[in-house]
Amino acid sequence: MAAMHTLPAGDRLHLLHSVLCAVNIGAVVLDGDRRIVLWNAWMIKHSGLNNDKVIGADFFATCPGLRGGRVDAAIQQALYNNFPSVLSQSLNKSPFALHANALAVARNERIQQAVEVTPIAVEGAPRHCLIQITDVSIAVAREKLLREQTMVLRSQTFSDGLTGIANRRHFDVAMEKEHRRAKRGGTPLSLLMIDIDHFKAYNDHYGHQKGDQCLIQVAAALAGMLKRPCDLMARYGGEEFAMILPETDVEQATLMAETIRARAHELAIPHERSGTDLRQVTVSIGIATQKVETPVDLEALIGAADRALYQAKRAGRNRIAALLP
Amino acid sequence: MMQAKTVLIVDDSRVSRMMARQYIGGLHADWTVVEAATGEESLLKAREVAPDLVLMDVNMPGMGGIAAAELLRQEFPAMPISLLTANVQTATRERAAAMGVGFVEKPITEARIALLLSPLEAA
Amino acid sequence: MFNLTELENDALIEIFNIGVGQAAASMSAIVHEAVHMSVPSISFIPRAEAARLLGARDAAEPERICGISQHYQGAFETEAILMFPEDKSLEIVRLMVGESVPLKELTEMEQEAMCEIGNIILNSCVGTLANIFQHELEGSLPQYHLGTSDEILTATGSGADTVVLMLHIDFLLEKHQIHGYVAFVLDITALHDLKDQINLYIARAMGQA
Repeated sequence: MAAMHTLPAGDRLHLLHSVLCAVNIGAVVLDGDRRIVLWNAWMIKHSGLNNDKVIGADFFATCPGLRGGRVDAAIQQALYNNFPSVLSQSLNKSPFALHANALAVARNERIQQAVEVTPIAVEGAPRHCLIQITDVSIAVAREKLLREQTMVLRSQTFSDGLTGIANRRHFDVAMEKEHRRAKRGGTPLSLLMIDIDHFKAYNDHYGHQKGDQCLIQVAAALAGMLKRPCDLMARYGGEEFAMILPETDVEQATLMAETIRARAHELAIPHERSGTDLRQVTVSIGIATQKVETPVDLEALIGAADRALYQAKRAGRNRIAALLP
Repeated sequence: MMQAKTVLIVDDSRVSRMMARQYIGGLHADWTVVEAATGEESLLKAREVAPDLVLMDVNMPGMGGIAAAELLRQEFPAMPISLLTANVQTATRERAAAMGVGFVEKPITEARIALLLSPLEAA
Repeated sequence: MFNLTELENDALIEIFNIGVGQAAASMSAIVHEAVHMSVPSISFIPRAEAARLLGARDAAEPERICGISQHYQGAFETEAILMFPEDKSLEIVRLMVGESVPLKELTEMEQEAMCEIGNIILNSCVGTLANIFQHELEGSLPQYHLGTSDEILTATGSGADTVVLMLHIDFLLEKHQIHGYVAFVLDITALHDLKDQINLYIARAMGQA
C-alpha cells in the first residue's frame, strides 16, 4: 500500500478530498472572497443542498441568516487575522440549518451544533477558511437528562412541607432562570398567580386541619395540570400559588388559567362560608405575560400578575384576569 | 475660502488624542484641535472654545463619554458630537440615535476621521 | 523589572481597550444584553507574583480558578490566558450561558461556553495588537483549565523567570461587575519586540513615521 506522500500530487489530492467528504462532520471551505469551495457529503446530507447549488456561491447568499452574527465574525477572524474560533453549542443555538432527517425537517428541529472556524493557508491564493460542524445532539440530550435528574433531586430541598409542591424559594430561583431564558431565546413568558377565594373564612369555619387538607387537595389538582417539564407550580404564600409557564403567550396562558379555574371548581370542595350561592371552594387567577417584543423586569412581571389577581378578586372572584406588564 | 474650524477631541488616552490631532492636521492644517482628557474637562473646554465638532471617547473614568455628551447636548443643542467607541452594540446605536449624536468605531483611522470631518467641510 | 514609559503604557492600554471593547460588542450580540469591558490598567510582573495575584488568598490552600489559554506565534510569541478568580468564574458562565451552576458541576457544555468566551476576548485583544502593529500571527484553539493560578501558569509553559503582562479587566453585564485578568506570558525577546512595536505606533501617531 503506497504511503500517501509517495502518491502523485493528483492522486493525493483526490485521496484527501475523498477523506474530507467521508468524515462524519460537516466541512465547509470558503475562499478569500467567502465563496464556497468545498461542501462535503455530510453537509449535503444534512442541509439538503447539493454541490451544484452551493459550490462557487457566496456563503452568505447560501446562509443569509448568518450574516452579521457570530459565524460571520469568526470567518472574519480566520480570513483577516489568521485566528481560529470556536462556537459553543450553549452560546450559539444551532446556527446552521441542518437536520438529522426528513422528519426533523418537517418538525423544524435542527441538529445541535458545535462549530469551529479555522484559517487555511493555500499556496498561491489568499487565505481560505474551514468551517467544521460537529453534531452534538446526543451529548446535549444526555446533559439535559442529567440536569433534569439533578433538578429532581434538588427539588426535594425546594419543596413545600405541606403540599409537596415547589416552595417559594424554588419559585424565586426558577422564575429568575426562566426570565433570563425567555430573553435569551426570544420567547414569551407567562406567570399565573392563583389564590384560593375566601380562604380565611374557610379556616375560621372548618378549622385549620381541614384548611390544610384543602390546600393539599387544590395544590395536587393544579400541579397535576402541568404539561411540560419547564412549567412550574409553586406555593407562593399561605393560600397563594404561582405557576410559571415558559414559552407561553397570552392566549395559551389565558386558556390554561381558565382550565385551572374550572378544575378547582370541579373539585367541589364544600365551602359554606364562600359568600356566594356556589358554596364551594373556588380560585381567582391573575395572568401576566411578557411578550417577545416587550421584555420587562422580573418585578414588573410579578407586579402585573399580582395586580391582575387583585382585579379578578375585585370583579367578584372565581374568575381570571389578565394584565400586560 | 473655507473657514478654519475648531475640533474638540475628548479621550483619556493621550496617544489617542495625539493620533486624532495628527489625522485632523493632515487633512486640514489650519484647523484648531483642542484636547480634553475627561468628560468634566470637555464641558469646560466646549464653553471656552465653542468647537464646530466634538469627538467624545465613550470609555473614560469619572463622568464617562455618554454622560458628558448628554450634558453637552443640553447646553449646546446644535453642536455636532460624535461618540468614539470600540464597543458598538445595539444599545450604543440606540443611545446615540436618541441623543442625536453620531458614533464612530475605534480604532481611529485617517479614513474614519476624514468621514467625520466632511460635513464640516461643506459649511 | 521590565518597564514602559508613561506614553508607551498609555498606548498599550488604549490598544487593549479597543480589543476588549470589540469583544464586548461580540458578547453583547450573544446575550442580547449590554456588555461593557475595559482595561483600567496593565502591569508587568514576574510569574510568581502573577500566580499570587489570582486567588491565592490562603497560601496553604490556594483557590481554584478557571482559565482559558491560547497560544500565539509568528511576529512574536506568547501564551495568553484569560482568568477569573474562583467566585467570579461561575458568575460569568451563569450570566453568559443563563444557567445557575456551581463551579464543581460545570458541565462539558459550559466549559465549551467558557472556551468560546476566552476565544472571543483573547482573539480580540491579540488581534487588535497584531493589526495595530501591522504584524501577522497564528493563533491556537482555546484550552480550558481548572486549577490554582500557579498550576495554570505552569501548564501553559511559563518558566520561573518569565514575565507576565497582566491586564486588569473590568467586565459589566446585567449590573454585575466582575473583575478578571488576561495574562500574556512573554520572554525577553517578546518583551523587547513589544516595546519596539509600541514605539513605532507612537511615532506614527505623532506623524514621525
